[in-house]
Amino acid sequence: MNFFKRAWLNVWAKKGRSVLLILVSSAILMFVLAGLLIRSAAVKATAQAKADVGATVTLSANRQAAFKQMQNSSSSSSKSSRPKMTLTPVKLSDAAKIASLDNISSYNVTSSTSVNAKSYDTVATSSGLSGGGSGGPGGMKSSTSTGDTQIDGVTSTSLATAFSSKQSKITKGRGITTADKNTNHVVIEKDLASQNKLTVGDTITVKETAGSKDKVKLKIVGIYKASATSSSSAGPMSTDPANTMYTSYTLANTFKGSKYAGTADSVTFNVSNPAKISSVKAAGKKLINTSKYALSTDDSSYQTVKAAMSNVASFANKIVWLVAIAGTIILALIVILMIRERRFEIGVLLSLGEARWKIVAQFFTEMLMVIVVAVAIAGAGGQFVGNQLGSQLVSQSTTTTQTTSVTGQHGGSGTPGGGMKGGNGGPSNLGQNAGSKTAKTDLDVSVSAVNLAELGGFGLAITFLSIMIASGGILRLEPKKVLIS
Amino acid sequence: MLKTQGLGYWYQDKAQPLFQDINLEFDVGQSYAILGHSGTGKTTFLSLIAGLDKPKAGDILLDDRSLNQIGLTNYRRHEVSIVFQAYNLFTYMSPLNNLLTAMAITGTEHAGDKAFALKTLNDLGIGADLATRNVQHLSGGQQQRVAIARTMAGDAQLVVADEPTGNLDEDNTQAVIEQFQRIAHDRQKCVIIVTHEPDVAAQCDHQYRLENKQFTKLS
Repeated sequence: MNFFKRAWLNVWAKKGRSVLLILVSSAILMFVLAGLLIRSAAVKATAQAKADVGATVTLSANRQAAFKQMQNSSSSSSKSSRPKMTLTPVKLSDAAKIASLDNISSYNVTSSTSVNAKSYDTVATSSGLSGGGSGGPGGMKSSTSTGDTQIDGVTSTSLATAFSSKQSKITKGRGITTADKNTNHVVIEKDLASQNKLTVGDTITVKETAGSKDKVKLKIVGIYKASATSSSSAGPMSTDPANTMYTSYTLANTFKGSKYAGTADSVTFNVSNPAKISSVKAAGKKLINTSKYALSTDDSSYQTVKAAMSNVASFANKIVWLVAIAGTIILALIVILMIRERRFEIGVLLSLGEARWKIVAQFFTEMLMVIVVAVAIAGAGGQFVGNQLGSQLVSQSTTTTQTTSVTGQHGGSGTPGGGMKGGNGGPSNLGQNAGSKTAKTDLDVSVSAVNLAELGGFGLAITFLSIMIASGGILRLEPKKVLIS
Repeated sequence: MLKTQGLGYWYQDKAQPLFQDINLEFDVGQSYAILGHSGTGKTTFLSLIAGLDKPKAGDILLDDRSLNQIGLTNYRRHEVSIVFQAYNLFTYMSPLNNLLTAMAITGTEHAGDKAFALKTLNDLGIGADLATRNVQHLSGGQQQRVAIARTMAGDAQLVVADEPTGNLDEDNTQAVIEQFQRIAHDRQKCVIIVTHEPDVAAQCDHQYRLENKQFTKLS
């Protein structure tokens, strides 16, 4: 194949022109690669978001049904007694059935109540509302008085929203885990600990606000720090966030009373594949008594990430095609000019009896040599361009999506903080969003072999099209007109 | 070897041909000069017998086979070798690579034979040191000798040259003409030279003048 040798001799002899062509091709391919990288990173990020952000299905009392029942009973009963809305605590046996469904990766049981401090002082809020005695108005209908210490019973603190969203973090000891079931272990807030000089291993005493109102000793296994803005409380009447303690849900149920054994305020299930959330909800509904319980879904974080990544992927796709088309046109124009300059050489080749396709093949080979070097350069530089462009795109796209999301959710439904009959009113809506995590939308823009192969494909296609467009002249060229003037 | 039968050519107007009804014969082992003033059509005639263009009337036969039958590309590759006034070498190559490239394209029996190419160049005064330089670093006379060497390295029986001495001084002109004579006599090829220089034409075995649309044999 003599045209290979001719191509090499030409590229080598005209080094300056070859270097310029390599630079132009590198610039074009660098932008193509940046687009490819952002697109594949966006796809990866969306898939990762499914795992990282996830989505949740929450099983809780059906407040709407309970309200209707209350209205019906009030119309039929005498007006002397004030009607009460009775919310049925969630049965853990129901939760276990739902947990066995496909796509449920984990679940967190939440049971909230309050107790009164006995061996320590609660942290007073700066607003002047004393922590002592003022229970949170969480809306839970209480048959007894509320305590000054909020008890958030959970399966595991790591699954609770405050911790999974990094609003709170363990600073000493450890968090509550499934191993703490049926124990008196507690995790207290740092401010409460320092005010009372408490540390991990110490014991505190609280007094139940319901039932027998016994004094109960609790062992501190961990201390957590709540962020300055974090609060599991709601409303101006709430206790200071520092007065919130985390225990196992079994202990919270004990505080509420014996009839709350095996129940929970709510159970939040983490769905491994957010795209299946609707089918999980539908399957779960078949397992519960929907007149008493409700299943609500939350995949907003996933949707936020998905929307952001879709925007980025769509934009990256446009970049790829735009740059590829523009690159083809630019290269085609350069090749056309280059070929026009070489009409004499083409004429000589034709006069020697060289086949026209071999002349086209020579130019293609020359460009291929240039493109191979350009792909290598673009591979090295594309990572940098992709990183810069990707982070810029994500920050813009995420900001836009989150702004829209916040606006859309404004005034949205709160979590059912409704108290369970006999339970102590807790201000917490903890657990409703347990498992939802902050949307992580960083793009992992790294060059892989697949990206380079794709880039090579684009380079090859651009080269082929450029040469084909420019070769029209070669195919029509008459040697006599070139060589004999 | 080569015959023209009723050859005619015109550009736009058939009524005003450059030449018409030309019947000539060219044999191997002979050199031919075609003389004529500018614009008479001698270069066009050369482009026809070189297979660079097609006649408007008549035919050209090589060993009694029409060029149309042989195919112009095939004819140019295997049967004819052309030397131009402007040398028309590959400017990004050395003389050696120019020869090797031409030999590869035309598929001569010596294709790829570097030693043969160097010897051919050396026979024309292009030594090994010049043979590997870029052709653009050679003088006009040296470049024309490389072009002739390219012709000599091939197997084609017909050699056509368009004003091969047009850009050369007297000494180089004489050297080039002697080379063409050797190609004709020693290598038994048919050499047809188009020139406007009577001194160059006089050294060829046969001379024709193209005048008034017809060829006239001078000697």
